[in-house]
Amino acid sequence: MRRPDLKIRTALHDMLYVWWEETKLSVRDQGMLIFFYLFPLVYPLLYAFIYNEETVHEVPAVALDESCSAESREFLRRVDGTSVVRFVAHAADMEEARRVLREQGAYGIVRVPSSFASDLARGRQTRVFLYCDMSGLLYYKSLLMAATDVSLEMNADIRIAAARNSNEEQDRTTAAPIAYRDVALFNPTAGFAAFLIPAVLALIMQQILLLGVGLSAGTARETNRFRDFIPLTRHHRSVLPLVFGKALCYFLITLAASAYVLCVVPLLFRLNRLGEPSDLLFFVVPYLLACIFFSMTCSVFVKRRENCMPVFVFSSLPLLFISGISWPSTAIPEGWRWISWLFPSTFGINGFVRISSMGAGLGDVSAEFRALWIQTGVYFLTACAVYRRQIFLARFHMRRRHQLLRSRLMLRARKK
Amino acid sequence: MALRRLLLREMRRMKRQSLYGFCMVAAPLFCLFFFTSLMRDGLPEQLPIGIVDEDHSSVSRSIARNLNSFSQLEVERQYPGVHEARKAMQRGEIYGFYLLPEGLAREAVGGRRPTVSFYMNYSYLIVGSLLYRDMRTMSELASASVGLQSLLARGATEQQAMALLQPIVIETHPIHNPWLNYAVYLCNMLIPGVFGLLITMMTVYAVGGEIKDGTAREWLKTGQRSISLSLLGKLLPHTLVYFLVGFLIDFYLYVWLHYPCHGGWGGMLLNTMLFILACQGLGVVMIAVVPALRLALSWASLWGVVAFSISGFSFPLMAMHPTLQAVAQLFPLRHYFLIYVNHALNGNAPVYVWPNYLALLAFALLPLCFLSRLKRELIYMRYVQ
Repeated sequence: MRRPDLKIRTALHDMLYVWWEETKLSVRDQGMLIFFYLFPLVYPLLYAFIYNEETVHEVPAVALDESCSAESREFLRRVDGTSVVRFVAHAADMEEARRVLREQGAYGIVRVPSSFASDLARGRQTRVFLYCDMSGLLYYKSLLMAATDVSLEMNADIRIAAARNSNEEQDRTTAAPIAYRDVALFNPTAGFAAFLIPAVLALIMQQILLLGVGLSAGTARETNRFRDFIPLTRHHRSVLPLVFGKALCYFLITLAASAYVLCVVPLLFRLNRLGEPSDLLFFVVPYLLACIFFSMTCSVFVKRRENCMPVFVFSSLPLLFISGISWPSTAIPEGWRWISWLFPSTFGINGFVRISSMGAGLGDVSAEFRALWIQTGVYFLTACAVYRRQIFLARFHMRRRHQLLRSRLMLRARKK
Repeated sequence: MALRRLLLREMRRMKRQSLYGFCMVAAPLFCLFFFTSLMRDGLPEQLPIGIVDEDHSSVSRSIARNLNSFSQLEVERQYPGVHEARKAMQRGEIYGFYLLPEGLAREAVGGRRPTVSFYMNYSYLIVGSLLYRDMRTMSELASASVGLQSLLARGATEQQAMALLQPIVIETHPIHNPWLNYAVYLCNMLIPGVFGLLITMMTVYAVGGEIKDGTAREWLKTGQRSISLSLLGKLLPHTLVYFLVGFLIDFYLYVWLHYPCHGGWGGMLLNTMLFILACQGLGVVMIAVVPALRLALSWASLWGVVAFSISGFSFPLMAMHPTLQAVAQLFPLRHYFLIYVNHALNGNAPVYVWPNYLALLAFALLPLCFLSRLKRELIYMRYVQ
């Protein structure tokens, strides 16, 4: 019977041994090296480069002036003058405009009908037609916004001219009895990078863990005897030191990576960083832990090193969309929302975006925070369960082999 | 005869590993089902917003009521002040809110021009854009309704009043996606994107696996030491499976769900088939250039994921750095996208995008330039761990 303190010491020693072995492996193994160290370093920078511009300027469009009046020219001139639209051609008719659209890569047609000036002169409502290419929603948005802005501007001018006010104050009231302003909170330029990048950064943390841990598991299966998950050494005998030792290794690596990915990269990007760093840290801990135990649970199913790559890389996209950043979570069907709760990334992305880009405190993301701790607990138990089974399997294979060898030996001895 | 042996050999390999079935058939079809059902509404509806009504007048109440009548908005609740509404936004309860300041009715009627404000959150870009559109329309309507009442009071007919309030109206005609359906816009590219990613990776995996398992020489021997015959025998079964999956995808999108396809779905089928061949070609080139399986797979995964960004369907390529505009040509998905826009959305003749057809074809034929290199690597297997 061993003394309890000795037992604890052995367990601690085993844990540190596992941790050290795993850390060494993460540097030595090319695949793990790529996904744990190189990938988080380079990938965000690549995205920075791609989405550098944030917004769309000078969308090429075609002007089609059927009215040929001073008013229509004024309208088109003002649209051309906005920073978002640029006319690449003036077409004579719709057929020509469509041809320019096809051949010269313009994205929309602004058509002023022939009745434009006469309608305005007679005090009738008139229309301007906007035809948009729908290959990119940002083109559509830019064109619509430019045309609407100009029409509102000219409407106000026309009203003022009609009202024949005596002073400027009256002019303004005529232009719009109620004024309005729009305030873009948290992403003031409505930039694409500020929207997409934080979510991708948070997702990256989970995906590098899935890939890294999966590769490590695949390596273990390929190098160990009997293609088992757990090596047969005296340090890999009990569950807790094994699970904790590996988790510690992954936690330290990804904590450093997340400091870079979640703090330094937004700085390089000049993204919003409204959140308190301490809140971010407190939030990241359960996220990483949930991801780690989730990855460790999944990693048992990896039979060959490379098999995990297509599967986990493919999962990134559905996971990004199910998180509710791009497609709003209120519009996601109930069934998919439940499924999304299985993955740490759903809560991790939402919490990170709200803390980092929207300045929420830890209290504001308490639902996500709690969910991540629950996931940590659940996935810890599943990780222990699958590791326990794998240890059992490894021992079982060893014992069977042992029996086989012994019976052979005995057989040979008997023959002699 | 050798070809038959190769085909049988490859089919046995595909049967032995469940990864092939998963990545070649299950995963693409899952994505097809997943994305189309996730966005089955086309446009997100009933987005929760808040109202901060500091005025408590009949005017402010009617504005609040009108906001609720937009099918895309759902007024979740009223907040006593901007601070509380902002907090609710940070908690993720609402996506935006509308502020009706104190004295709104009094000042509007008195001609002192009060200002209403709407706040939206572009951290959720799609939601933010939709909110912007509706809340702005609402503000215009609010302004117009006050103006309308005073004009009607002065004895103008409603038609005259509207002509004076809004002399110029913008009428939008989104070409060929008339409902501004986000599902059409996203699914049409996300699904082929994932499909292409998986094809490239599985092609790398299939060829690289031979190197890794040390079966490359035996494979070549089965193919009578001809690399082109061996490759053909290996990839042909894959191609057939991909064609079948691609057919199902196109059929589901354009025939079953009636996604707009103005050039006929046969053309999209051709586009999909060319895209499949291009991705396979790219995969072969990757493993030939980097004959270590895990490195080639890393490359393929990076390429496949970046393709979503660089193909320019979410954020236009035009706005990216010129270097990236050149690099984008190296991604089959970019060419697929341009052909899809030309054919399905705009219904134009293929002649307008002939360089893109050629590019996809070039990707498919590119392995021909790397055959001797690949053969060398297969024979010497220098990169086996």
